[in-house]
Amino acid sequence: MNAALLPIIILLPLLGALLPVLAIRLGRTASAWSAAALSGIALGLLLTLVPQVFAGETLLYRLDWLPAYGLNLALRLDGLGVLFALLILGIGLLVILYARYYLSEHDPMGRFYGFLLLFMAAMLGVVLSENLLLMLIFWELTSLSSFLLIGYWKHRADARQGARLALTITGGGGLALLAGILLLGHISGSYELSVVLASTETIQAHPLYPATLVLILLGAFTKSAQFPFHFWLPHAMAAPTPVSAYLHSATMVKAGVFLLARLFPALAGSELWFYLVAGTGMVTLLLGAYHALFKHDLKGLLAYSTISHLGLITLLFGLGTPLGAVAGVFHIINHAIFKASLFMAAGIIDHESGTRDMRKLNGLWRYMPHTATLAMVAAASMAGVPLFNGFLSKEMFFAETLHHSWLGAWHWLLPVGATLAGVFAVAYSIRFIHDVFFNGDPIDLPRTPHEPPRYMKVPVEILVALCLLVGIFPAWTVAPLLASAAASTVNGTVGGALPHYSLAVWHGFNLPLLMSVIAIAGGALIYVLRHQLFALHARLFRPFDAKALFERQLEQIIGYARRLTALLENGSLQRYLMLLVASAVVLVASGLWGSPLSGPLPAGEVDAVTLAGALALALSAITTTLWHRRRLVALIQLSVVGLVVSIAFVRFAAPDLALTQLSVEMVTIILLMLVLYFLPQQSPAESSPLRIGRDLLLAVAAGGSVALLAWGVLTRPYQTIGDYFMANSLSGGGGSNVVNVILVDFRGFDTLGEVTVLGIAAIGIVMMLSGLQLKMPTADAAGRPWARERYPMILAVISRPLLPLALVVAIYLMLRGHNMPGGGFIAGLVTAIALILQYVASGIAWTQQRMHLDYIKLTAAGVLLAALTGLGSWAFGYPYLTSSFGHFTLPLLGEFELATAMLFDLGVFLAVIGSTLLVLANLGKLSVLKHTLKEER
Amino acid sequence: MNFEIPNFMLAMPEIFVLGMACFILILDLFLSERSRVVTYLLTQATLVGAFLLSLGLYSSARELTFSDSFVLDPMASVLKLAVYAAVFMVLLYSRRYLRERGMFRGEFFVLGLFGVLGMMVMISAHSLLTIYMGLELLSLSMYAMVAMQRDSRVAAEAAMKYFILGAMASAMLLYGMSMIYGVTGSLELGEVSAAVAGQGSQLILIFGLVFLMVGVAFKLGAVPFHMWVPDVYHGASTAVTLYISTAPKLAAFAMLMRLLVDGLGALQPQWHDILLLLAILSLGIGNVVAIAQTNIKRMLAYSGISHVGFLLLGVLSGSPEGYAAGMFYAIVYVLMGLGGFGMVILMSRAGFEADQLEDYKGLNERSPWFALMMMFLMFSMAGVPPFIGFWAKLSVLQAVVDANMVWLAAVAVLFSVIGAFYYLRLIKLMYFDGPLELSPFRPSPDVALLFSVNALAVLLIGLFPSSLMAICRQAMGL
Repeated sequence: MNAALLPIIILLPLLGALLPVLAIRLGRTASAWSAAALSGIALGLLLTLVPQVFAGETLLYRLDWLPAYGLNLALRLDGLGVLFALLILGIGLLVILYARYYLSEHDPMGRFYGFLLLFMAAMLGVVLSENLLLMLIFWELTSLSSFLLIGYWKHRADARQGARLALTITGGGGLALLAGILLLGHISGSYELSVVLASTETIQAHPLYPATLVLILLGAFTKSAQFPFHFWLPHAMAAPTPVSAYLHSATMVKAGVFLLARLFPALAGSELWFYLVAGTGMVTLLLGAYHALFKHDLKGLLAYSTISHLGLITLLFGLGTPLGAVAGVFHIINHAIFKASLFMAAGIIDHESGTRDMRKLNGLWRYMPHTATLAMVAAASMAGVPLFNGFLSKEMFFAETLHHSWLGAWHWLLPVGATLAGVFAVAYSIRFIHDVFFNGDPIDLPRTPHEPPRYMKVPVEILVALCLLVGIFPAWTVAPLLASAAASTVNGTVGGALPHYSLAVWHGFNLPLLMSVIAIAGGALIYVLRHQLFALHARLFRPFDAKALFERQLEQIIGYARRLTALLENGSLQRYLMLLVASAVVLVASGLWGSPLSGPLPAGEVDAVTLAGALALALSAITTTLWHRRRLVALIQLSVVGLVVSIAFVRFAAPDLALTQLSVEMVTIILLMLVLYFLPQQSPAESSPLRIGRDLLLAVAAGGSVALLAWGVLTRPYQTIGDYFMANSLSGGGGSNVVNVILVDFRGFDTLGEVTVLGIAAIGIVMMLSGLQLKMPTADAAGRPWARERYPMILAVISRPLLPLALVVAIYLMLRGHNMPGGGFIAGLVTAIALILQYVASGIAWTQQRMHLDYIKLTAAGVLLAALTGLGSWAFGYPYLTSSFGHFTLPLLGEFELATAMLFDLGVFLAVIGSTLLVLANLGKLSVLKHTLKEER
Repeated sequence: MNFEIPNFMLAMPEIFVLGMACFILILDLFLSERSRVVTYLLTQATLVGAFLLSLGLYSSARELTFSDSFVLDPMASVLKLAVYAAVFMVLLYSRRYLRERGMFRGEFFVLGLFGVLGMMVMISAHSLLTIYMGLELLSLSMYAMVAMQRDSRVAAEAAMKYFILGAMASAMLLYGMSMIYGVTGSLELGEVSAAVAGQGSQLILIFGLVFLMVGVAFKLGAVPFHMWVPDVYHGASTAVTLYISTAPKLAAFAMLMRLLVDGLGALQPQWHDILLLLAILSLGIGNVVAIAQTNIKRMLAYSGISHVGFLLLGVLSGSPEGYAAGMFYAIVYVLMGLGGFGMVILMSRAGFEADQLEDYKGLNERSPWFALMMMFLMFSMAGVPPFIGFWAKLSVLQAVVDANMVWLAAVAVLFSVIGAFYYLRLIKLMYFDGPLELSPFRPSPDVALLFSVNALAVLLIGLFPSSLMAICRQAMGL
């Protein structure tokens, strides 16, 4: 029952995010109230659960969501979760109050609260998740909602850029985290924290541990602005100050260190962990503290100070010791409290004076003494002055740097570095106080400063009171919270034992105290010398703008992308084809790699005729390419290629194919000739020699690969399907010409389809040509007119007796086709060629006067006949296209077979004649008609 | 030659779509320009009818018919249902767009239906020949659809490129099929699979595989066979782009599964390597080049290429989980692609194509709602939780990690980070930049509603992804 409150705590702000947006219609206060009420209720619910957790329970809530992928809606509340949830909701409430007075009339307040609640829900989700994948989802949601918050003042360019920068860095880190979590789940076998935290040894012994750790740390470090990803945080300061106070003190940037704390039991303790985490923490600590001193912008100072303190916490977790983790958790609390109040104070100063530049802001004590007091307390806490909360955790930190077992002889590096960072922290804290509130008079302030509205100070007062209470009476205030949070951090569960630590303010005179004294004295000294240091800093360090570097790199990436695009996608089809063919060649070549090319079959003998044929084929193919610009010559070469291929079929005992190839070749060449008529005789030279060279190489590579492939195929034994047809052709189809029997019987259905398609295509072409008018040249390129004599006498005379002869041959071919080379298809082509010859030799008008053939009807008749033959077999109760055959004797030809397949073949014959002539005659008409028209004129 | 009477029932949706397509083709000839809407409505009704038929035929069994060259299994059923739904949405999106440009003609719808038939055949194909037939039916329809805008030079150029490159790829696919046929002696995938398992990886099979992969990669648009994608997506009218970029990917995924898993499963080590190469190149080139684009259709084209890379990652892991992840990714990609190009249609109006990125500047000021919807889509494409795109990426990554290819998962994540950049850029343009035109944005209500539903689906399915994921896993027998 109690654990069931957990989803409600998250859902309240998540679903409630719309409420302030709607409530803004009732006024700004109503909007703020609605937001505050929601977080207040959530806080109240959380508080009812706190006693249980302090008593040592870990509350779990589980709901199946996507069990197949190990994702359950599993939530968990333990000490660490309570600590963070309290910070998120508590400071959230204060920020809501503060923002009510901070935002101006022009700012859309409803949207602000909406985004804020969304962000709050996402943060709660991160800290309350039991399932790591679920946590990741909320993690990305924090990136998104913080993007919206940082970019809230979207009219400001720096806000937009800052938001984008933050989202790019943290979003990218989130994806790295995703990879890390996937690995972690892979190693430990579950995404549930209870399991993961309990399998420390498995994880750390796994070979993937380093990769996992690095990926997860990338996620944590980008979020917590650790070096070298720290640069997004100062730019996020363009956000409204309430956002900074919330995101950059208590929540968003703390998500990274939260992750370190959460996974501390599972990942920490290894050498790699120490060097990565503590090293990064140390560098960030020093870098942040140093830079903070030299910022003139109030919020810039706080931003770098935040980076530095996050580095400190990271360093503490990096030590990998239980005490280090306790100190880390404690500093998380303290930093959240004093940094939130400082941001709010800075916001008040900005709000009331109109600037955040510390070179102008001086002597504000006189104008706003109340605010100044509050800010001074908070700053003292930041500096680590005794009696303030910052001092306690800082002492623990100093003590821990002294008691670690790493680095061997160099172990003193850590305490020295820590003290140095402490010196700078004191210096910039003094600067924050002295520069702003004392140090003479203000210079050119846009507004005359005064105290802010009463309620704007209340949140700061509460936080500062907490600084003092925790600082002076730690045992009575923060102790139970710290104990339970630290226990769950160190052990993964609340119940486990914790090492002894003391929260007393006074530990006697010891080394850590000395370090604090050095830090305070050194800090004061540096502050006194600040003007010289500023000058030195300006001389030594050029202003280094990481954002500019980032932007420049983005520009560079875009530049690379552009160049890559230009290389791959220049819009040229030739380039694409080149890439396509080249990629295929590479893939084929990689397939060749490592396995023998030749198969077991011996290479056959090569006789002189075959060799000559092959050479002729190669030569004509090459010359076709070489002379491709002279179109007529290229066409003639192409026909040579076709002829040689036909002869090759004869050579390999396929007379049918040879006959077909030969007649198809003729029809094709005639077709091309008809088209050529309308084209210039030569095509322009377009390719540069370099390009031709490239294409030559590519052609050789592609051709070579295909040749190798053919070699590979032919030297291997293969099963042929020919045997089946050889065996069944005569008995099943009544013919001994296997090719023809396949066409009209075994695959008769296919042939019927093909013939139909042929007919449709022909009719389609005729339809497209109808109404088309093409201008044709009256002279060739050289200006010579065409021959006056359109139809040469000799050709016409020879062609006429050829027609009956061809018809006889066609009938002969068809009748014998079932047993010997021939068949309807070839016969049809032979007839078609003979008819075309008439058109060519004597002209269309002459031919059509004497021959009244409607080719469309002819085609249709052929297709119908073929189809009806098939239907005929139904009449006898057989499946479609079953054939039967009988033997007949004719004078002269001798005995022959008449199969129903013959009728089918007749249909094929007619359809082929019809469609071939439809296409060719109509294409021919295009030019001839125009020409005769011209002559008539 | 006799053959058994096949079980026509299994192919009822195909037969229905074929019959309706022919009927609509003829009917459209007799319709006047005013009553052309009848063609549109009938086309949509056909899709709904096919949906119901396929739904009725759904069973978890795997049945073969037509001499084992046609298969109906859960994967086929689910993918077909997705195809109908996707094309239905495409036509819904395009209606007004086509009208405004004088392209509301019967051919568009009839070609669309024939394309659907081609996809259905590809999805249910169980022989090399059936696959090829489906592929060509689909491709030829698409070539013609791209070329439909005859007066547009870019469209004509795109169609020409698409056709020539597509013909090359088809030829290579056929070449590969012939080699596989030569070695195994069969076209039917079951027999091919048995023969390949018996023979192991021999050279000719590997060559056959390589050429098959070229064809499939071309169809999917995987690098380095992707060159047509940006030019065609860009050149075609947005309605046609919407069609080409979505449903055919499902068919291509089915083709990949049929060829590689059903047919050449025994060659998994070999095709794994090729897929790996294609996937990494697609992720890399797709994501990096997308950054440089200024045209949103081209940007989405490259984004699609990178999504294909992810999809291939799922398949190459070689486990049923991986296949399910790939299928889930394919379906999710289609949903997001519909939204992405639907956005371009939503923004366009007569005389304004809205295909430049800068056309989206300041959309938030003109219409916060649609800016929000577009942001949903972009986040989903970038793989940000809790949108559906995240689950797609997650399931694929999970499969890759489970197959012990951790480095590959890391590479994929790295490229996703790069990829996030250009999606964010669009969001930045919409939210942070000033609008180029100040007139309020008034999209047509039907497209607006559809787009909103589409974008919200990306969120809602993202919140409750388990049922869709369960369907995909069930389809892969998990």
